Order: sequence, then structure tokens, then C-alpha cells
Amino acid sequence: MDSKRIVVIIPAYNEEKSIKDVIEKIITSIPSADILVVNDGSKDQTVLRAREAGAYVIELPFNLGIGGAMQTGYLYAKQNGYDIAIQCDGDGQHDPVYIQKIIEPIIKDNADMVVGSRYLEKTLYKSKLMRRIGILFFSGAVSMIIRKKITDPTSGFRAVNREVIEYFAWKYPSDYPEVDVLVRLNNRNFRIMEVPVEMKVRQGGKSSITPLKSIYYMAKVSLALIINSIRSSKYS
Amino acid sequence: MKIDIYSLSVIFSIIFMICTIELVRRNRLHEKYSLLWLLFSFILIFLAAWPKLLETIAGLLDVKYAPSLLFLVGLVFLILYNLSMTMSITKQGERIIKLTQELSILKERIKILEAEKKESK
Repeated sequence: MDSKRIVVIIPAYNEEKSIKDVIEKIITSIPSADILVVNDGSKDQTVLRAREAGAYVIELPFNLGIGGAMQTGYLYAKQNGYDIAIQCDGDGQHDPVYIQKIIEPIIKDNADMVVGSRYLEKTLYKSKLMRRIGILFFSGAVSMIIRKKITDPTSGFRAVNREVIEYFAWKYPSDYPEVDVLVRLNNRNFRIMEVPVEMKVRQGGKSSITPLKSIYYMAKVSLALIINSIRSSKYS
Repeated sequence: MKIDIYSLSVIFSIIFMICTIELVRRNRLHEKYSLLWLLFSFILIFLAAWPKLLETIAGLLDVKYAPSLLFLVGLVFLILYNLSMTMSITKQGERIIKLTQELSILKERIKILEAEKKESK
């Protein structure tokens, strides 16, 4: 296991309040891993706080959106020969304690991508009703399309192996990528697995999804799902 | 020559064509994109200059008011051209994202290399 090179990618947009704490917890949880913060055009002290905490920081000159920022991390992971990449939010929502649990199926080669799920086991996580309904909708849709039960398709707490790193470096949806990539990966016959994790309510920052954007979110992700389900592996 | 929709269409198309050529001449428009616009002007001039042809086609398609075919041709062309524009934007957007990512990774790497160089001096 120690021979595997691991990088934790944190996409960050205005996360100065929480980023340091997240990085410190990651170091405690998995000391052997490198930590990469992709600063997606933050207007606050995110970069400074991240460097103070000891992370490697890549600064995007303007806001590319979560997809573009995540892909920067995967491109870096590909170029620097990492075997495993973990994506973890910088707002404190994802508890780094679970990183070991998330990478375990990858190390054992039981999966190509592992998703940390809030809903696989009964957890303390309480979500707003509308959000829960939205997630249930996508959970049902994704599970139906890929014929495999996915309980938390919007979770951004994930780990992937080298093959998926290379694929993501080449292609990654630019906005709202989480649900979309599940079907794309399945189209390309990658193995997806969920493990139960506990998630917290964010410590700082704001969700990228405001009420106004949520309608666009539902429409865009639904369309992406429909297109993906009729997309051959060649175009996935 | 009386002023009607046909003669107006011819005049408009000729002015449009001159504008297109002028833009290419001043390097403000790529030849690649001007080709379709020029083709469009040609078709419009051709149809407007020979109303008989347009009226025959209109008769075949059971269109009561022949000049409305001119609008249809224009509209269809614009829709198709717009679709091809959004395709280019998609491609360019993807390239810009890739370039931004590569650039940001390289910038950080250069920064570190320069710091190391300074230290070793």
C-alpha cells in the first residue's frame, strides 16, 4: 500500500475559513498522501491559508467552475504519475477520517472509482427536503441507467485509480460533473463502488447550488443522463 | 426597375457581400467563416434577381406569397449557421479550459523551480 502514490485534490472557491482545518485533518488521516488545492479564482485568502497548511496549490487565473477545477487536479495527477486520486471538498463537508475507507477498494483493486455515500447506511446527516428529493431522483435515474444501486450520486467525496485519473484528465464535464461521470464511467466499463461515510454540514463557504440555479441544475444533469444513456463508449 | 422586395433583397445582398469581403480583407473575419456568408448572399441574389424562379418554386410548394420563400431561406440559413457557431464555441471553450489548466500547472512548477534555483545559488 505504501508503494502507491496518492494525491488528495481539493477544489476550492472562497474557502478561507475551512481550508486549513480540512488540510490538517487530511494530513492526520493519510500522512503519506500529497495534498493539492486547486484554487478556482477565489477572491479571499484561500491560497494563503492552503499554503500555510502545507498544501501544493495550483491557481487558476479565473473561475473555471467545479468541473474545470477538478480536471486540473486530475491532469496534475496524471502528469505526476499518481496511482490514486481522492477528491475532497474544501468546505469541511467531507470528513478526511473516511479517506482510508474510500481508498481501500481501489488498493485492493475491487473498484476503479469509489464514492463516499451519506445514504448507504443510516447516518446523522440531515439534508433539506428539496435536496433529498433531488438526490433520490438522480439516485433512481442513475441506478436504472447503469443497473447498479447508487445511493448518493451527487457526492463529491471520491477516490479513483490510475486508469480513471487518465480518463478524467482527458475528459471531465465542465459543470455539475458528479452525476454525469457515473454514467460515463459505466459506459466505459469502469467499476463503481459506494462506501458509507458520514458527512457534516459545511463549516464555511456557500454551496455552489443556489435555489435559482437548482432548476438549471436539474435540467442540465437530467439531459446529461439521457444523452449519456444513449451514448456509446466511443463518445463517453 | 421598381422598388419591391426582390430589388431590395438584391441590393441588401450585394451590400452584405461587399461588407463580408471587406471584413476578410481587413483580417477581421476568417475566410473559413466568410465562405458560408458569401454562399448565402449568392443564393439570395440569385433568387431575388429571378422572381420567376422563386414563383415557380413557390407554386410547386403551394406557397401563396412567393417572397415569403426568401424569408424561409434566410431563416433556415441563420438557424443552421447559429448551430455551427455554438459548435465552434463549444470546441473553443474546451480548448480554453485545457490551456488554462496546463498553464496553471506550469506556472506553479516554474515558481517552485525558480525558488529551488535561488536556494542552490
